[in-house]
Amino acid sequence: MKTAHSRFKEFFENFYLVLVLIFLYAPIAVMMVLSFNSSKSRSQWGGFTFQWYSQMFESSAIMDALYNTLLIAFLSALIATILGTAAAIGVNSMKKLPKTVFMGLNNIPMLNSDIVTGISLMLMFIAFGVSLGFKTILLAHITFNVPYVMLSVLPKLKQTSKYTYEAAMDLGAGPVEAFFRVVFPDILPGVLSGFLMAFTMSLDDFIITHFTRGAGINTLSTLIYSEVRRGIKPSMYALSTVIFVTVLLLLLITNFSPDKAGTKSSPSKGVQTASAGSKNSGIRQKILLTAASFFIIAAVSYTSWRHVASSHSDELYVYNWGEYIDESVIEQFTEETGIHVTYDLFETNEEMYPVVEAGAVQYDVICPSDYMIQKMAENLLLAEINLDNIPNLKYIDPEYMEQSKSFDPQNKYSVPYTWGTVGIIYNTKRIEELGVPAPTKWEDLWDERYRGEILMQDSVRDAFMVALKVLGCSMNSVDPKELSKARDLLLTQKPLVQAYVVDQVRDKMLSGEAAVGVIYSGELLYLQEEAESLNLDYELEYVIPEEGTNIWIDSWVIPYNARNKENAEKWINFLCRPDIAKKNFEYITYATPNQGAFELLDKEYQENTSVFPDTSTLTNSEVYQYLGTEADDLYSALWKEIKSH
Amino acid sequence: MNKSKNQFLAFPYIIWMIGFTVIPLLMIFFYGLTDRSGNFTFTNVLAILSADHMKALLLSLALSTVSTLVCLLIAYPLALILRKRNIGTGSFVVFIFILPMWMNFLLRTMAWQTLLEKNGVINSLLSVLHLPPISIINTPGAIILGMVYNFLPFMVLPIYNVLAKIDDNVINAARDLGAGSFQTITKILLPLSVPGIISGVTMVFVPALTTFVISNLLGGSKILLIGNVIEQEFTKGSNWNLGAGLSMVLMVFILISMTMIAKYDKNGEGTAF
Repeated sequence: MKTAHSRFKEFFENFYLVLVLIFLYAPIAVMMVLSFNSSKSRSQWGGFTFQWYSQMFESSAIMDALYNTLLIAFLSALIATILGTAAAIGVNSMKKLPKTVFMGLNNIPMLNSDIVTGISLMLMFIAFGVSLGFKTILLAHITFNVPYVMLSVLPKLKQTSKYTYEAAMDLGAGPVEAFFRVVFPDILPGVLSGFLMAFTMSLDDFIITHFTRGAGINTLSTLIYSEVRRGIKPSMYALSTVIFVTVLLLLLITNFSPDKAGTKSSPSKGVQTASAGSKNSGIRQKILLTAASFFIIAAVSYTSWRHVASSHSDELYVYNWGEYIDESVIEQFTEETGIHVTYDLFETNEEMYPVVEAGAVQYDVICPSDYMIQKMAENLLLAEINLDNIPNLKYIDPEYMEQSKSFDPQNKYSVPYTWGTVGIIYNTKRIEELGVPAPTKWEDLWDERYRGEILMQDSVRDAFMVALKVLGCSMNSVDPKELSKARDLLLTQKPLVQAYVVDQVRDKMLSGEAAVGVIYSGELLYLQEEAESLNLDYELEYVIPEEGTNIWIDSWVIPYNARNKENAEKWINFLCRPDIAKKNFEYITYATPNQGAFELLDKEYQENTSVFPDTSTLTNSEVYQYLGTEADDLYSALWKEIKSH
Repeated sequence: MNKSKNQFLAFPYIIWMIGFTVIPLLMIFFYGLTDRSGNFTFTNVLAILSADHMKALLLSLALSTVSTLVCLLIAYPLALILRKRNIGTGSFVVFIFILPMWMNFLLRTMAWQTLLEKNGVINSLLSVLHLPPISIINTPGAIILGMVYNFLPFMVLPIYNVLAKIDDNVINAARDLGAGSFQTITKILLPLSVPGIISGVTMVFVPALTTFVISNLLGGSKILLIGNVIEQEFTKGSNWNLGAGLSMVLMVFILISMTMIAKYDKNGEGTAF
């Protein structure tokens, strides 16, 4: 009877364990499967491939980022553990009041949202004239890591009896010896899990790293986030798989190696093993310590050596969207001009702005969008481009120089790089099933039959652009009456919307999650090519709505504090060369304003009116303008009303 | 004598905190209590009273409380089983739960999208088994799931750490004195593991309250949490003053919740807040 009961209990416990492990590892399994997926989409299976693995090892960007990530995680966790453990012991013997104050302060990095911590640290570094780079990331990581160490160590310390420590002292041990031989083994599991926790938090952090890093330094997180806009390359999944398998193997080897079998079979429970093997492990600890310090010294000197090695006389710091250039173009530029390029990525205009405004990193050339260029110019963040240095400007279609005037009236700050429209993408099969005719205008996005099938852009301006166009107003309206009408319209649409998304439109449309979506025309070629190669049983069509839409232009600008202005102009001139612009277009598939390059393109591309619409049909369309802080506040307040409804 | 000596060990970190925590904090206060032109104002702090912000804050509090409770309910039995099993060594257990977190946070959360979507992996499996599909994506349920998934290790580890340290003899003594398994848990293990629970609750509740990525990716951005509001003010609305003001309010809320939790720590030995 008793055995049946305990057997049942054991079965139940196993079942529970397996369930939790499945929960924890299901997404990892998904990532591993995706790393062998020949399609870039995260929602469609395109066939088995190893290509992402070879791409991963070949990519110096990924390997550098991996190296930086691991080094920062290791160093910050190590320093945080030492600081945190010492502090935990100190705080444990404090009186109540100072203890409360101390713990309150300690928890601040955990209490703030990351973005607040990140920006405030960046402001402080700049205020004190610390140049951003590897060391600032490290300092920031240590700061947010220590609280996690303390939270792991403190409960352990509370469990230790102070009498053992006193007993050790009474028996003739010095305070240091007593600590390391009596207290430390007791709290060691807490210290170790604190270290691990700190290491983990550091590996995973994105936002704080983003704001405290300097030029040319990427961690895996910042690299991944910069890829989000154009779709995450499966090489990232491949890398995750490799890391996962390596760590798991190491873990299994160290845990089930024969020399540990002895301690394992001993009946001692759990953490007692830490103290049980303490005598034998003395030598092992010393070896470990030596190895660790060797690793640190080697890594740090390698980093500084690389820093010295990479400082060239002729340099250029480029700040661009992720996946927004054919990388061979950068190499070609360096070959032809001898200028060494440090290439950095941002994910949104808004995220780029404070970095430039604060002068945190001095970039020489940046590629923001229309309204942001106006904002930067108004806030005196831009330098005039010397157009004499850019003879290739003659290849840019005058049409786009004209369009640019709406945000750069004298064409003196910016040179167009890519352009496009915003429109509706729809799934031909799905709308047939719903019995709805193909959409032709924005108003169709209010059709009741699309309930739960609409993907809207999660961006204030784009969402209001749609509503304002339906109302027949300008998308640059600052009239509170028009805007509240637009808000009401968007509120009535919200029940029909499946999700407000930015980058997931791609994957969600490819997997047939939704019938219609609002999308940038630049995504189109990628989507259509992907849909074709996956042999989907439906097609994705794009339409520019009748009411008119947003024409957006991303242009190169030179910030006021550029240190290599002439090199920046060489860079812009180089990118305006027709053969280079063509190469770039074929890689990024966003329409090029370069007439010379357009003429070189395949007919198939030239005739694709979704990507290169006849601009005369875009009469009602506009370019976004910067509306000033007051209007910005109004837009974001109204948007919050919609989102929180 | 000895106690006061130990206190000095906290000094390096105190200096560190002044440099990297207090000064940035003052900067947030500065932004939160001024308007764009630098004049002193309380508007940014009082903005929390507006209907939108209040709603976002209450929703965040509700969702993070639920996820913390779910985490606790999953983690406690798990930690008990792990303690009993003594699988390998302590560090092995720790690794098993921390390992998923070594894969990038964004990639993992996007993988959940692939799992949960209408045409996702789970629904495909269900349709093979002729079961009705689930439609959890873009709901508060999906956000809670994402929070539990991401923060569960923070609950398991501290509790496991504390439980593993409890002497077996204590439990045997309880048994000898006639306590059943249930009584052993409620009367012995539970009270002894309070510090671990408090650590765990803190480490889950706080990040859950301030998250914005999870609600964006799994909630379809249709659900506005206070973290989203703050993030939006900093990155999209570019009104840092309002963002800083709201973060100050959020910090106060977190401090209050933590004090309330600490009250349950009757022995007065929990983490001091």
